[in-house]
Amino acid sequence: MIGSIPLSDVLLVSGALFSIGVAGALLRRNAIQIFLSIELMMNAANLALLGYGAALGTHQGQIIVFFVIAIAAAEAAVGLAIFVALFRHTETIDVNKINLLKW
Amino acid sequence: MERLFFDAAALLAILFAGLMVVGRDPVKSVLSLVVSFFALAACYVLLLAPLIAVLQVIVYAGAILVLFLFVLMLLNVGREQPDGARRPIQTVLGSLAVVVFAGLLLGMLRATGTRIPILTEAVGPEGLADPAALARLLFSDYLLHFEAVSVLLLAALVGAFVLARREEAP
Repeated sequence: MIGSIPLSDVLLVSGALFSIGVAGALLRRNAIQIFLSIELMMNAANLALLGYGAALGTHQGQIIVFFVIAIAAAEAAVGLAIFVALFRHTETIDVNKINLLKW
Repeated sequence: MERLFFDAAALLAILFAGLMVVGRDPVKSVLSLVVSFFALAACYVLLLAPLIAVLQVIVYAGAILVLFLFVLMLLNVGREQPDGARRPIQTVLGSLAVVVFAGLLLGMLRATGTRIPILTEAVGPEGLADPAALARLLFSDYLLHFEAVSVLLLAALVGAFVLARREEAP
């Protein structure tokens, strides 16, 4: 319990958000939307970390989330740069049309 | 009362996350995710992490998603066309995988959420929500990790610059 919030609520919301992220990453074809789904999955994991940290009464959860946010920023910068470079070569970011490495 | 607010904010987050996945227009997807992340920030406040909530709004909703919008405008990506490039078997298998995964994950979380160990040095709610205590920990016990992240951010900056740079003719 965190205040009057049961931990099971937090975990349920986190699991639901993560599942929505997995659905987006598997079913979308636009690379940007796949990337957005990955960001959503990271946020779901952050929510679970904060829930456990608050329920256990420790700062560790918040510390890990702090680092996750910093790494997500780095990842977004590099990923979007890759998309820009990819678009310049292939004129598309549809992942079904980018099949240079597929035999 | 807190539970009511948490559940309302969480429902909002889940709703807009669903809209993000369903929508075919990437710009609308990004904007839905902004709303979802704002709702998540409200959840973070209720989970006694106000500093993380502020970082969520500034870094995630502010910086990262605006970067996505910039790239979308730069690339001028249109709506996803429902053409025949995708075989239906892909969609069916993908949906099946999502359903199985969601069932497993939610079942597992339901099973683990009830057992919580008792920590000896547990911090009270006021201590948890105190940004000064978090900062003290970050700059003492986790100083090495903090510096490693700063080097990582520099590497990402240089990497992004090199990747997105226009190739010059030799």
